[in-house]
Amino acid sequence: MCYVLDFGIIDKHSIDTVGGKNASLGEMIKAGIRVPPGFAVTTDSYKDFISDTGIKEEIYRILCGLNPEDTAALNNAADEVQTLIKKTPISSGIQEAITANYAQICDSCGVADLPVAVRSSATAEDLPTASFAGQQDTYLWIQGSAQVIESVRKCWASLFTPRAIAYRLKNKFSHEKVWISVGVQKMVNSKTAGVMFTLNPTNGDLSKVLIEGSWGLGETVVSGSVNPDKFVIDKVLMEASEKTISTKHIECVYDPVNGGVINSDVDPDMQCICCLAGEEINELVRIAKIIEKHYGRPMDIEWAIDKDFAFPENIFIVQARPETVWSRREKKPLLGAKSGYQLLMEQAMKVIKVEA
Amino acid sequence: MTKQTAGRFPDPHDYKVPPELDGWEEMYPSHHLFSEDRSEWEKQQFWYLDKIHAPEPMPPLDLLFQEAWQISLSQYTTRVFCIPPAQGIAQRMVGCYMYICAIAPPPDAIIGEKAGHFQKRVFYVFDHYQELWDKWLTKFNALGEEMKNLNVPSQLPKYVPDEEVLPAPTGCYVSYDVISSFDKLVNMMFKGWQYHFEMLNLTYLAYLMFGDVTRKLFPGISESAIGKMVAGAYVSMFRPEEELCRLARLAVASRDVAKVLKSDKSVDAKKAELEKIPDGRQWLKEYTKTQDPWFFVSNGSGWLHHEGSWIDTPDIPYGYIKSYVERLEKGETIERNLDKIDQERDRIVAEYRGLIKSDEDRQSFDNAFNTVRTIYRYAEDHLFWVEHWFHTIWFSKVRQFGQLLVNGNMLKQVDDIFMFNRYEIPQMLTELVTSWALGVDIPTRGSYYKAKVSKRRKILAIAQEWAPTPALGIPPAEIAEPFTIMLWGVTTDRVKEWLSGIDAAASDTAASVVKGFASSAGVAEGPARVLKRLKDIVDLQPGEVLVCPSTNPSWAPVFTKIKATVTDIGGLTSHAAIVCREYGVPAVTGCGIATTTIKSGDIVRVDGDTGTVTIVKRAA
Repeated sequence: MCYVLDFGIIDKHSIDTVGGKNASLGEMIKAGIRVPPGFAVTTDSYKDFISDTGIKEEIYRILCGLNPEDTAALNNAADEVQTLIKKTPISSGIQEAITANYAQICDSCGVADLPVAVRSSATAEDLPTASFAGQQDTYLWIQGSAQVIESVRKCWASLFTPRAIAYRLKNKFSHEKVWISVGVQKMVNSKTAGVMFTLNPTNGDLSKVLIEGSWGLGETVVSGSVNPDKFVIDKVLMEASEKTISTKHIECVYDPVNGGVINSDVDPDMQCICCLAGEEINELVRIAKIIEKHYGRPMDIEWAIDKDFAFPENIFIVQARPETVWSRREKKPLLGAKSGYQLLMEQAMKVIKVEA
Repeated sequence: MTKQTAGRFPDPHDYKVPPELDGWEEMYPSHHLFSEDRSEWEKQQFWYLDKIHAPEPMPPLDLLFQEAWQISLSQYTTRVFCIPPAQGIAQRMVGCYMYICAIAPPPDAIIGEKAGHFQKRVFYVFDHYQELWDKWLTKFNALGEEMKNLNVPSQLPKYVPDEEVLPAPTGCYVSYDVISSFDKLVNMMFKGWQYHFEMLNLTYLAYLMFGDVTRKLFPGISESAIGKMVAGAYVSMFRPEEELCRLARLAVASRDVAKVLKSDKSVDAKKAELEKIPDGRQWLKEYTKTQDPWFFVSNGSGWLHHEGSWIDTPDIPYGYIKSYVERLEKGETIERNLDKIDQERDRIVAEYRGLIKSDEDRQSFDNAFNTVRTIYRYAEDHLFWVEHWFHTIWFSKVRQFGQLLVNGNMLKQVDDIFMFNRYEIPQMLTELVTSWALGVDIPTRGSYYKAKVSKRRKILAIAQEWAPTPALGIPPAEIAEPFTIMLWGVTTDRVKEWLSGIDAAASDTAASVVKGFASSAGVAEGPARVLKRLKDIVDLQPGEVLVCPSTNPSWAPVFTKIKATVTDIGGLTSHAAIVCREYGVPAVTGCGIATTTIKSGDIVRVDGDTGTVTIVKRAA
């Protein structure tokens, strides 16, 4: 039984114990992709937490027989379970394991109380056919082992938000079969961050990488609270076929007053400046191609560029999951098997409509 | 100027040219003019300015190439290979500028008939391309040699020589030779242009086909990517530059030869010095050997007599050799690495192919690619042989007739002959030999022709300053003609741009954005250097943006110096586009108005990804 596993030793076979997101980070490290260091608090931690403390039966009793349409009952049940999780002490074994691993990544980065992102990583989450994306919480800029442990606990509790409970009920996922792991990962002190797809989501063009980015942490891009800069880059020639520089009003940054993160206004001079340099775009595309090849399918990737490192060591991948929209479409050949003569004949018969 | 209603261009019959151009019509044959008797048909068509073949006012004799391609290009489409819905391209002259029109598709019954011929005739060409190309080159070279060997007397003799009279009279003398030689010369040019399109229409068709296939597989694929997949490295059009590199390498092997070639002396002085040293004589021998065919290269497009060719402007090849020798001595590599270009193309093709998901699609891609690659060399090879090598021979032969007319006091200068069209010159030659035949001191109408030359030169100069409308008539509903789409890039967007261009010109605001084809990717900013002629190239400074009408192989050595290229003329497969892609220099081609809108010293931003040139700051 392992309460905690370093990202470096997990991969896609570890989904049952570390969840999809964490397994994916381990997979990328295996593929040679630069991922911020961190570790997974395994599903065993969660399982032992609810079993050893005896709250497991209590939780399933509360959830038993709920009607997903009965909002009041749902809210009450969620509240009750979450309170239960929040007030129950975590065993010293689990706490020590988290503390030790956190200390280790602090050491390796040479920073005491290293800021980390704490994210839930559910075992059923982000599978191409069952997207739970966004159902669990993320806690950014967490510092010190006590805060980390509390955030882990909050992630566990997030398995029982009214929305998550209702979703499982509606889709007939058993509450008892959904386990949660938590990822603890060094915060990228990001200058620029965003998302990229290894195809062009507007037309499904597989020869393109779409990059969207904005200043600060990637949350503004992911949540859609800012119009990001947009680049469509050809994978083969590395040329841009589209480049849109938007006005980026806000950025998500560390909040020195209250800790955690906050959306703040972008300096007016910076709002309309392109958030990525040419070499950074090229490096992102290069990485996107490696990730896509590693997984053998189009991917949806979150990335960040760290202020504290020099190019290309500053480019980090913080998440990668299969692209779901185009990948789910029926795959019919676009042309069908045709001979050169057939294609020529078709071309010869073509007329181009001109509308003036 | 005639005002037109929105959405259409002026009626060609109402369109007025500036009154100072008065008399322009007489320079061109009547079938090249808009006429009342054909007005019903003419005004239903859409005519646009052909900036590719006629970027400037047309000297009368140079129209002959246009006459030749009008027939040849059209016949291959309509009567030889029978591309089913496509018809030919018609030409008209307006105020010394050439307008062309892709004729609307024929009736359905004809399309059906043509489809049968197409299938039978076209596939044969693809199946036998290599063999057909070898035959083509053999017969084309023979035609060029025949033209070179054509006898043009430089003087009419006082008396025909004895040996032509005794013992066996030839019965046919120099007066006949003069008239028949010019006819032969013209006929050879027409024959050369018949050969020119022997496989070109099919090459363009195959290119368009491959473009459509790749666009179906990758909706956002760039024209530049398609061009890179199709283009070859080992093509005749690049050979002149390769020969320069070879001669430069040969020169650096001997310090004395290199020293002479690096000096700032005139070409004649350099030659004289080289003659004095053994290595120099050897080098000159190599130069002479390679000169024909490889330096029969126009300094321009090959379409205009005044552009000149490397063989009559040796300053240009010698200038390039000088800079190559200097670079070699600095340890630089001067050659394009052809193997690398080939490998890069293979990589690009393999990578796109690897992105295709289904086996069926991959099979179609392979078939489309193999089909276009079978024939595409033709586009790259024929250009050197026809527009450069063959035209160079033509111009030198025509100048021999020019000399004859100068000697006969019919013209003042050799190049004045280009001020007459191909139907007028036989008249002048007839008059010349008539006066010779009539006896001594017989007057010719020399002063009449000389006056015509001055008048026509004046008209052409005025026309040069005039900006004619980009199009006339009614924009078409559909286009099927492969050249119109590929070479001239006539599309819905382009027609709209022209219409908006007319409005912009009317409001008389200086444009700060110029649009063209996104021919080579990347963005670069720098001071512009507008070069209208190759001889101005000495002004070009490293790091500048080259802005010019068009480029061709004789410009090749400049591409390593510049930040970006902008041309008025030329599509995605133009010389500038191909070379810039190879050197990784951003290029926007076919802008139409770049050399008139941009001034040297303006700071311009060239966006080769979107085909936009922005004037960031005007020169002071």
